Amino acid sequence: MYYFSIFFQYAAQYLKTRMSYREDLVVELISDLLFQAVNLIFILVVFGHTTLLNGWNREEIIFIYGFFLVPYAIFSSFFNIWDFNERYIVKGEMDRILTRPIHSLFQIIIERMELESMFGVVTGLVIMFYAGSQLGLTLHWYDPFVFLLMVIGGAFIYAGIFICLAAISFWSDSKTDIMPMMYNIGNYGRYPVDIYNQVIRFVLTWILPFAFVGVYPAAFFLGRTEWYGYAFLTPVMGVVFLTIAYFMWNAGVKKYRGAGN
Amino acid sequence: MNVIEVEGLRKEFKSYSSRSGLKGAFRDLFTRNYKTLRAVDDISLHVKQGEMVGYIGENGAGKSTTIKMLTGILTPTAGNVTVNGMNPHKEREKFVRTIGVVFGQRSQLWWDIAVQESFRLLKKVYKVSDEEYETHMKEVIRTLEIEPLLDKPVRKLSLGQRMRCELAAALIHNPPLLFLDEPTIGLDVLVKMKIRGFLKEINRKYKTTILLTTHDLADIEALCDRVVLLDEGKIIYDGRLDELQKNWVEGKQVHFEFQHPVDKPALEEISREYPVIWRQGERVNQWVATIDGEDDTVSKLMSVVMLHHAISDVKLNKVSTEEIIRNIYEEGIKHG
Repeated sequence: MYYFSIFFQYAAQYLKTRMSYREDLVVELISDLLFQAVNLIFILVVFGHTTLLNGWNREEIIFIYGFFLVPYAIFSSFFNIWDFNERYIVKGEMDRILTRPIHSLFQIIIERMELESMFGVVTGLVIMFYAGSQLGLTLHWYDPFVFLLMVIGGAFIYAGIFICLAAISFWSDSKTDIMPMMYNIGNYGRYPVDIYNQVIRFVLTWILPFAFVGVYPAAFFLGRTEWYGYAFLTPVMGVVFLTIAYFMWNAGVKKYRGAGN
Repeated sequence: MNVIEVEGLRKEFKSYSSRSGLKGAFRDLFTRNYKTLRAVDDISLHVKQGEMVGYIGENGAGKSTTIKMLTGILTPTAGNVTVNGMNPHKEREKFVRTIGVVFGQRSQLWWDIAVQESFRLLKKVYKVSDEEYETHMKEVIRTLEIEPLLDKPVRKLSLGQRMRCELAAALIHNPPLLFLDEPTIGLDVLVKMKIRGFLKEINRKYKTTILLTTHDLADIEALCDRVVLLDEGKIIYDGRLDELQKNWVEGKQVHFEFQHPVDKPALEEISREYPVIWRQGERVNQWVATIDGEDDTVSKLMSVVMLHHAISDVKLNKVSTEEIIRNIYEEGIKHG
C-alpha cells in the first residue's frame, strides 16, 4: 500500500515536471513514432523481395512487431537502468538512495521512470489490430486477459535481464558497452526464432529469453499451435527472471563500495 | 543507553594494482595483484543521546567510510554496529527512518523541482503526518530562513541556500540522530554561522544527537564538546576538545617577522635560556616561536629577540586547534 502511494506521488510529480516542458514532450513522441515507422518500413522492404519468411508471412511479422512494442513500452517506461553504473555507482548517487526507507531498486525505478514511453502501447495496439484484421484474426473473450499476462511476462523478462546487468556494477564499476549491445540483441526477439540457427535460437529462448517478449507470445494470438507451449511459458519465464534479478540486486547492494568524495 | 554502539568495526576494500607495460597488461588478464586496503581499522565508539561529536581526520582517514557504515550504506567487513538499537545494514529500511543524513557534496533534493515539492515528496516517503509536518517544519523553515526559497527549483539556488534546504530536508521526519558529512564545505562565514546556530538549537530542543565530519575546525570548536580523531583508519584521540587543547598547548606562539634574513642556530643561540621551539613560518623571514612557560617568559623572549634583530612585525597568539591537529598528525599523540 505504501509503495503504491509513493509510486503515484512520484508519477504525479513526474507528470507535473514534464508538462511544463510541453515542446520536449511532443518532439520526443514524434521521434519515437518515426523510429517505429523505420522499423516497419524495414519489414516491408524485406517482404518486397519475398512473400514468406520460413513460413511466416508479412502480416504475421508485422503483428509480432506490434506485440513486441507493448511489453517493450512498459519496460522502457519503468526500467531506465541502462545508465545505472554511471549515474548511481560512479557518481555515488547510490549513497542517497540507500539513506531512504524504500527498497533501493524500487526507488531507482520510480526516480527514472519515463511515462511518455507508454505511448508505445498505443502504437503497438494499432499495428496489431491492423495486421490482425489483414489476417482475419478474431478476438475471443479471453484474449485480452491472456494478452495482459503475456505482456507482463515479456516486460518482466526485459526488466530481469537489464536489472541483472545493472547489478553487475556493484561488483565491478568499470565501464562496459554491454547495455547497448543488449538492446540490439533484444530486437532479435521481434522476428520468428526459427529463422535463426540453433545456437542463437537456444540463447534467445533460455539464456537471454528475448523470444518470449515477441515471437512466442504473439504466436498464441496468431493461432500457431506448434508454439503454444512456449507461449504459455512467457509469464513463468518473466517471474523466474525477475526473481533472479531481484536476488542478484540484493546481493549486489551488500557489495556496494560507495564512491570516493 | 547509547545511541551509537560500535565495537571492533572494520572495513576493507580490495583493489588490484595493474602491472606496467603491455606484457603486464596481459598478465593482469589472468592473475591480478590484489591489495587489501583497510579503510577503517578496528574502531570502537560509543555515543550517548544528545551528544555532539566532531569526527575529524585527513582526507582518506576513513571518516566517510565510517559514516557510511553507521548509516547502513556500506556493509562492514567485521565488527558490531548498533545504531538506535538496530543493525543499520540488516534493517536498513526501518533504520533510516530514525536518522537524518546530509552529505555536503551530494544533494538529497530533486534538481528540477521546487524545494517545497521535494519536501512534500520526502514527507510522503517518511510517512510524516500533516500536523507533525506543520508544527515541526514551520519552525525549521523559520530558523533556517528558507521561506523565500521554497518555490524555487533547487538548480537555481546558491550553494549556501541549497545547503540550508538540504539540512531542512534531512530533518523532515525529526530524527533523533543526525549525520553530517562536511555540511559547511564551501560556504561563506555568514551561512556557516547560521547553520551552526541552527544545529545548536535543535540539539538543545530535541536532544538530537549529532555526528559531524568537517575540515573546518571552527565548526568543531563552535559545536562539539567531544572530538574523535582518526588517522589511517584508527581512532587516535577520543575525548573532550578542551582537554585536547590543554594537553597539547600550555604555551603561546609568537610570530616574528624580521627585516633581514636570520637562521635557526642564531635564534636558538640568543634564546638559549628559555623553553622555546623555533620553526620557519610561512613567509620569508618569518619565524614562529612556541613557548612553554609563564607569560613572563614570553615578554623576556620578545625583548631578547628584538634586541638582536630588527623586526618588522610581531604577533602573539594562542596555539589554534588547527595547529594542534596538524602537530598530532605530524608527530603522533605524545601526551595522551
